[in-house]
Amino acid sequence: MSRWEYFVKRLLLTVPVLFLVLSFLFVMLRMGPIDPVAAILGPQATGGDAQAIRERLGLDEPLWQQYVDFITSFLTFDFGQSWVVQAGRPIIEIVVGAAPATLWLGFWAILLPLFIGIPLGFYAGLNPNSLGDYTASFGGILWQALPNFWLSVLALATLRQTRNGGGPFGFDWYAFGPDFLSRDISITGTPDFDWFSTMDLLFFPVPYVSDWTALAIDVKLILPPALILGSASMAAELRIGRTAMLETVNANFVETARAKGLTSRVIVWKHIFRNALIPLLPVITSEAFLLIGGSVIVEQIFNINGLGRIFFQSVTQGDLPMAGALLFIFTLIILFLNILQDFLYTIIDPRVGYDQ
Amino acid sequence: MSTTQTDVDKRDSDKSFRKLLGENPRPAAVWLGVLALLLALEIGRVFAGIDTLFAVIGFVVDLFAATPAAIGGNVAGTLGPAAGAVATVVFGFALAFAVSIPVSEYVPDATVDVLGLELSRRGHRWAKRVELASALVAVAALIAYTPVGGAFSAAIAAITGSVDALSSALPSLTSRELISNTGHRTPDGGWDDTFLGLSPAVAWAIRTGLVFAYATALLAWVWRGYETYRTHYRGADWTPTDDTVRRFRSNYWGLFGFAIVFIFVVLALWAPAVSPVEAEHNIYEPNANGFEYLDENGEVQEVNHVFANLDSRSDGQNTVGLLSYDDYDRWAPLGTTNRGQDMMTHLSYGARTSLTIGMTAIGLGAFVAVVLSLLSAYYKGITDIATVMTSDTIQAVPALLLIMLVSVVFQEADHPIAQPLDGGLLLALIFAFTLWPGMWRAIRGPSLQVSEQEWVDAAKSYGQTPLRTMQKHMAPYIAGYILIYASLLIGGVIISTAALTFLGLGINPPTPEWGRLIDGGRTYVATSSWHVATVPGIAIVLVVVAFNALGDAIRDAIDPEADVDEAEAATAGGGA
Repeated sequence: MSRWEYFVKRLLLTVPVLFLVLSFLFVMLRMGPIDPVAAILGPQATGGDAQAIRERLGLDEPLWQQYVDFITSFLTFDFGQSWVVQAGRPIIEIVVGAAPATLWLGFWAILLPLFIGIPLGFYAGLNPNSLGDYTASFGGILWQALPNFWLSVLALATLRQTRNGGGPFGFDWYAFGPDFLSRDISITGTPDFDWFSTMDLLFFPVPYVSDWTALAIDVKLILPPALILGSASMAAELRIGRTAMLETVNANFVETARAKGLTSRVIVWKHIFRNALIPLLPVITSEAFLLIGGSVIVEQIFNINGLGRIFFQSVTQGDLPMAGALLFIFTLIILFLNILQDFLYTIIDPRVGYDQ
Repeated sequence: MSTTQTDVDKRDSDKSFRKLLGENPRPAAVWLGVLALLLALEIGRVFAGIDTLFAVIGFVVDLFAATPAAIGGNVAGTLGPAAGAVATVVFGFALAFAVSIPVSEYVPDATVDVLGLELSRRGHRWAKRVELASALVAVAALIAYTPVGGAFSAAIAAITGSVDALSSALPSLTSRELISNTGHRTPDGGWDDTFLGLSPAVAWAIRTGLVFAYATALLAWVWRGYETYRTHYRGADWTPTDDTVRRFRSNYWGLFGFAIVFIFVVLALWAPAVSPVEAEHNIYEPNANGFEYLDENGEVQEVNHVFANLDSRSDGQNTVGLLSYDDYDRWAPLGTTNRGQDMMTHLSYGARTSLTIGMTAIGLGAFVAVVLSLLSAYYKGITDIATVMTSDTIQAVPALLLIMLVSVVFQEADHPIAQPLDGGLLLALIFAFTLWPGMWRAIRGPSLQVSEQEWVDAAKSYGQTPLRTMQKHMAPYIAGYILIYASLLIGGVIISTAALTFLGLGINPPTPEWGRLIDGGRTYVATSSWHVATVPGIAIVLVVVAFNALGDAIRDAIDPEADVDEAEAATAGGGA
């Protein structure tokens, strides 16, 4: 089977997966132990109100009709309205409003580990069994085991402690970069994206940064949660980067390159570096998986009004359609990333095949 | 991967285990004698363990027994009572049939011959299963719908009751009655009611030391048992397990992990002995239980735990820190929580919770993964594709969010499954549900490889049943892989459980859990009560590092060349 056939096969396989996910959600939300009427009106609701809600939600229709309606509405992104969290508001509107904060967090949470974890791992792999290697490897092991929620709690307490120069060497996180105290903003909160503007260039909106200070504030707000959210992937990148580097350094083609008399700089950058990146690809895409789970925790602790926090609120307040819709959207993102990963693999590494 | 081959087919080697045992029973007798002595020292706890085991089995049986009727009730709700009754019977029979498949091999053939049918080998097998399932259903119906059920449950109650009585009556070496650390000061500066009049701190230290000494002795003796078996009763001089053990013993990082995991397990198993105050008094029912202390006026007073706890809170203003007494002379080796309860008690019982959930989740997940991998590798085709599709579906949903949603759905509805451990069992089941696809995917390659081997073909053509073939000729080769993944994943389960409890979703109070301690102490990190969030956090990190180290070491020991996907295992925590 050629690699493209394999790719197409994977692509086709996502269709039944999507339907299975939707069916699972339907079973959980409509046929599960929670009564939607009780969730909206409270457990004692009876009579006319309850009947009205039942009719509005279509609960009196036959089950197969409900199922078809459910699937079509989810596939057309028509999720209906929120029950509790922001009662009456269309879910899609709430999601669009909360998405930028989560994207901003995710962007930094992927970027920071990439530029810390991979270089450290490659360094450790290039200098195996040195003191630097041991430090990096041990750090990676420890970093991977640190729970995000605990790190967040400790980090917040430490940062709050630095107020008015209370940190080591008089370090003050509030005054570091854009001053938060004088602007009277908290070190936790949702970035407001005031710096982001678009201008029309030949009738196309082109984004540009209108306010650099606002940008700096938003970066500073997101930096601690992003570092924590990316910590587990950073450790994974470090460990796998190290192994990949070690394996590639000892590969035959590197020996050949050395025998040809290439300089070590060319060998490292052209032959080793590129090949060592291949096993890191799934780590980077699986990062999205970690980010989506972790964003709930980190956003909750750092007070960021993103998708994760809204999911948490809808789950704890029993807002089932909202939780279901968000879960569906997250699943779509993951399915898309899986396809992207397969696509990239097909291009980068021709050895992948279905037989493996 | 030919590791667990060791015990395989001892019959084929020159002398069987039984024969060797008959020829030279002395070492085994000595070993068993000392083991019995060791267990006798803690006989009270042994019976307490059996008691718990009975409770667990009872719960599981009840749960399975209730499902056919529950499903029937569901169907009756939509399709009418007749359909409901049919569904109950059909599902009950299906359940009995599923149970009968692994058991039917041990039922004598004569039971089918009675029917006097001409059957092929295959038909014979199925007939036996159907017969067994019918017998099971008949027995179940007898218990459920006739007076026999009353007698049956009375007999069960008598057995569990006597075990329960024994567990509280029999003594233990490490019981808190024997080495008591609960007492009060006397006006002249000594201590009353404590072990030998020592201070509670010393008494607690002695008891805890004794627990660890005992556990270490037990572990050493189990190891000794393996060595005895190896030198005296094993047919072969050498097996691959010897190499695995040798490699593991020279891996210091793995031994470190093993040591920490050992401490964690001892903490969980001996939680009642290690905790300075009784959990029942201090955490579960502080209203109903009191103790004596010496007040400022030099008089011995009685006080309820609930009032004493109020004055012992570590909440920034007050702090009962590490290695200190609170105002009521209760010894708190790790300080108190933000609600004034004892941290050490919380930590040890929390270890129990984490361990229970971790083992249940990983055990169930691994079981499903192994069964499905064997089935899909043996039958291939549609079985394989169906499993791929199911596992892809489960893996496409973000695990942590799915766990949150499902656990809330069940807890809101107050489903009976959400009762044990205040939601702990539910959590373990959902973890198992989200974890098996990853494990299945990891062992799919090895199982497919094994299924292509000649010996599997040979077994088939020899007339071996599919179940036997999978059990004897395929399963041993993937056991090593599943062991590696299990130990790498359990750390993630522990972190996720703590994270969910931290968010207030996973395990509800009063069941102690480490995540809730961190939540309680989160606002006091920068105050004098810093220990409330820090101590459990460090405990989590240590245990998770240890499990990861253990997993790595097991992998290296079993097969240094094994290609285990670390990225897969790293996602276990799901970003928690």
